[in-house]
Amino acid sequence: MGISMPDWGGTAGYHDEGCMRRRERSNECSISDDTVFNGNPGVGLVTTAHMEFSTHVRERRWKTVAGYGLFVALMVAGYYYNITFVQLGLIDLGTRLVGMSETAVSMWMAALALVTLVVAVVTGVAMDRRGWSTNLRTKLRLLFGVVCVQFALTLVAPMVRTVPEFGAWIVLASIGLGVGFPVSFSLAIDLVSVPDRGYVAAAITAIAYFLANAIPLSWSVDVFSRLMVAAMAPGIVVLGVLSFANLDRLESLLDTLGAQHETYGRGRFCYDDLVRTRSLAFAVPVVLMFGVFFIDSLGFLRIIDTPSLLLSSWQSPELSTRLFIAVAHVVGAVMAGVIYANYSLSRIFLWTFALFALTHVMYTSDLRFAEVFPTIASEGASPLNPALYAIAVSFYTTLNFALWPDLSTPETIGTHAAVGIGVAGWLATFSSTALALYFQAADLTLLSHLNVVQALSLLLLFGLAVGLYVTRMIELARENGGVSA
Amino acid sequence: MSPTEAIPLLIVVLLVISIGGGDVQKMSATFQGDNDVDSLADVHVVAGGTTSVPADATVDGDIYVIGGTAAIAGTVDGDVILLNGNLSVPDGATVTGTLQTYSGSATVSSDASVGAVSQFEAPAPSNSPTQRIVGFLLQFIVLGAFGWWLVTRHPLIIENVGAAISDHALVSGVVGSLGATTLLVLFVYMAFTLILLPVAIIGLFAEFLIILYGQAVFGYLIGRRLPIEQDGVATLAGIAAFLLVFELLGLVPYLGGIAQLIVAVVGFGAVLNTYFGLQRFEPVTIPGGT
Repeated sequence: MGISMPDWGGTAGYHDEGCMRRRERSNECSISDDTVFNGNPGVGLVTTAHMEFSTHVRERRWKTVAGYGLFVALMVAGYYYNITFVQLGLIDLGTRLVGMSETAVSMWMAALALVTLVVAVVTGVAMDRRGWSTNLRTKLRLLFGVVCVQFALTLVAPMVRTVPEFGAWIVLASIGLGVGFPVSFSLAIDLVSVPDRGYVAAAITAIAYFLANAIPLSWSVDVFSRLMVAAMAPGIVVLGVLSFANLDRLESLLDTLGAQHETYGRGRFCYDDLVRTRSLAFAVPVVLMFGVFFIDSLGFLRIIDTPSLLLSSWQSPELSTRLFIAVAHVVGAVMAGVIYANYSLSRIFLWTFALFALTHVMYTSDLRFAEVFPTIASEGASPLNPALYAIAVSFYTTLNFALWPDLSTPETIGTHAAVGIGVAGWLATFSSTALALYFQAADLTLLSHLNVVQALSLLLLFGLAVGLYVTRMIELARENGGVSA
Repeated sequence: MSPTEAIPLLIVVLLVISIGGGDVQKMSATFQGDNDVDSLADVHVVAGGTTSVPADATVDGDIYVIGGTAAIAGTVDGDVILLNGNLSVPDGATVTGTLQTYSGSATVSSDASVGAVSQFEAPAPSNSPTQRIVGFLLQFIVLGAFGWWLVTRHPLIIENVGAAISDHALVSGVVGSLGATTLLVLFVYMAFTLILLPVAIIGLFAEFLIILYGQAVFGYLIGRRLPIEQDGVATLAGIAAFLLVFELLGLVPYLGGIAQLIVAVVGFGAVLNTYFGLQRFEPVTIPGGT
């Protein structure tokens, strides 16, 4: 069985190399300096990294431009909701208003992750089998339903007072989230051209994290609920109009956007070989993303549980510190977008792992130092560590937004988005929460906990480097039929 | 003081002690509270709190102050080095060795007996026109010689790096900033181990050389646009123009510094992206364009 890997090569990916060879063979394929046929009729063009968005604006393709805006707005709203209300608000709801222990709330959160994964996979597979993945109107209607459910749940969340109510809330929210994320990610094939996905993913990450860090909100469910309800209300109206209104202009807009999947549908890594759900080309990115989500979640769960680390960073009373972290998120997202658009997939994975490894080395070094010199360490923590953490998180979040559509076609986007994000994101969250609970039960110190995270991040970095090297060795052995002089 | 800020000072102390032939194992330190000392274990580091040498006491050894306060009323038979924090040497106090101040706040009475006083002055940019011109010429000679050699002997190498700067400035900037920052952190943490200190110093020097390499290529790119036929001469002229502009940028507050930083990281990234010019940088081509 051949190892089919999506663009894992070095600086120049196989598309590039193939194109260079074609250029050498014939100049006829060259259309302009930066645009060439990929030699495969019917699959569009191959372009070097530049933003198509600017071309759309220059050529006044306003419907396509509106599609970009719609996608960014929906994803920013969804992601902001996830990283604030779901990840932070529910902990406050469970511990403060319902009166559960942190351990019990964590178990419910893990249950939310598992149910969401199951619902997402069912939804994704249904989307592909029933053809909803290629029907923009159906996806918008599904999304409208999801936002309505989440709106109601968000509105009533601060009124939850008992464990059964909390459990019911979790199950209903899981269903909404499970339907919502494969549907929303699948909109990429209708709304965002393939060469722009890295930059669009960077924009989503940058905006969502900037808002989440720069706006000084207390991490309480009441505050999150009020803000989300106010933000979701106009969103419901817009989605309602898009889904159900019968206006000529709107119909024309949706017709144009709905047909774009024919051009944008095939992802960046699906051109030479189709990436199947059960292939290594899909499984390897899923495993790597699982690793990134896992180490991030495992480390962050402990950091936010440590007041000295939290109050000197994400919950600092100083606006300048929070702004510093917010800007670090933006810088990280822009960097990740540029690297995603200009390098092979392996490069951005390597950078992500390297950044995580570096971040945790710095955190653990500081903690080791603090153990030896407690007086010096007690005088305050440097904002450099959370800023580096923010850059690493922005890297993989950007990758997460661009990767799954790029590993899919219109026929597989639902399943791939569901399995990819479900396994990598939600299952990783579930597993890391379970492990964090075990660490808590075992009374593991902060340093020991973060030491495990550091070890995992270094292992991932080393494993990926070795994996890439071995893959290249196998390629060489196959090309040469053994050893070459 | 955060650990991130304190670690470098402690490393500096350890290095200074090691270089001076002192025994790091015999070092003592105070981190908090008020402490009167009447004897020292070769080297004493004041990292926090207040450490006092009473008026009637004579201690033998060196005192390093990196935080907190050191009050010397008695006699120190050795050196006193102030890296950060506060130091007071009132009337009647004696320091037989050298009192060196690098940073922090020092109050030394004129009636105190101090063997020698040394104050570190950060090298301020010279305002002397002659010195500035000499400095500029020195930079020009080094970069010009390197640029000339590259253009005449290995034109493809400098061409490749130049193309990465002119055609892919954003990518070079991103890779340059990521690469330079992570390498910097890596080398600093290598230095903490002491064992890897030589590697860290070589690494930091290599980073500096890469930045110079990038600057030479910027000069080459400017030279190409000048109406000079001979490549070597054009590159020399370009490097001179680049250094002049770079120097002038330094005169603009804030924005000038930012512009200099951007130039440095773009050059750094271009050199890395092209494997020091051995390979032309081509970004991956993404299918599926409109």
